[in-house]
Amino acid sequence: MLSTVDDATLMKVATALGEEDAVKLIESLKNSEETTDDEIANKTGIRLNSVRKILYKLYDHSLVSLRRTRDPKTGWFIFHWKLQPDQLEGFILSQKRRVLEKLSVRLEYEKKHDFYYCNTPGCKRIPFEEAVELVFTCSTCGKPLVHYANERIVQQLAAKVEQLRKELGE
Amino acid sequence: MPKRNDLEQKALHFVVKTGYEGVLQSELWRELGASSREGSRIALKLEEKGLIRRDKELQGGRWTYRLFPKRLPASIESIADCPCLLCQDNARCDPTTTISPKSCAKLTDWILSLDRGAPVPSGDGYFAQGLDPR
Repeated sequence: MLSTVDDATLMKVATALGEEDAVKLIESLKNSEETTDDEIANKTGIRLNSVRKILYKLYDHSLVSLRRTRDPKTGWFIFHWKLQPDQLEGFILSQKRRVLEKLSVRLEYEKKHDFYYCNTPGCKRIPFEEAVELVFTCSTCGKPLVHYANERIVQQLAAKVEQLRKELGE
Repeated sequence: MPKRNDLEQKALHFVVKTGYEGVLQSELWRELGASSREGSRIALKLEEKGLIRRDKELQGGRWTYRLFPKRLPASIESIADCPCLLCQDNARCDPTTTISPKSCAKLTDWILSLDRGAPVPSGDGYFAQGLDPR
């Protein structure tokens, strides 16, 4: 399969998946055709349970594939894992679409509402309609709610949405 | 001799790297150390597969082709630090529910961090501070 995605992107995805160990694990997977979780744990020094956790996470996104055999002695299952680099591009695209959808919803919401805020870190911004019901007092900290200019949010969101649309070719 | 597929993969990477400018077919096969016959066959193959575009171009009195990638490589950079990417609440996140992209504090912090060019604070940001992560 010909892919336009290179190793650097693969590693970035591994990092983005949140696990430091994921990078090491993928490195080890990349170098072997098919391997078991035990072998990965031995090779990389990552604990076996983390290895499995990461593998299942990658499997959720179809970035690795799985073959199951039975150990003839013990009758237990052995899992053979294989990297599927050709799925990477699809994964990235679908994630981008998902994020884009969320950001578009947010952008619409930000554009259509006026926000009020008590300026206390950790408190929520409250849209005008709700702020009226609360008589412009924060229900969490009790401070008065003042108008919150969300231009910066709208601007940043619009730019990001535009960027993602372009990258997705929409 | 390298396998044909390897050469194709290499050629594709080379074309993709040139981005919008494209590359002359003659430069491609020289770069790959292949013959012009192999070069043009690979280019044809890649075009057939819909991976590149070939535009005719006159170069030094000879007709050759300029090769452009059809798609630029997918990169995750633009959303790598977006909290939605790994959000545990993803399955429950919907505009109509309490957990919603409309009011998500983590998302707000990320958006606000965008123009600073700084990565999102690894801990709780300004709006997400003190909030239950759920």
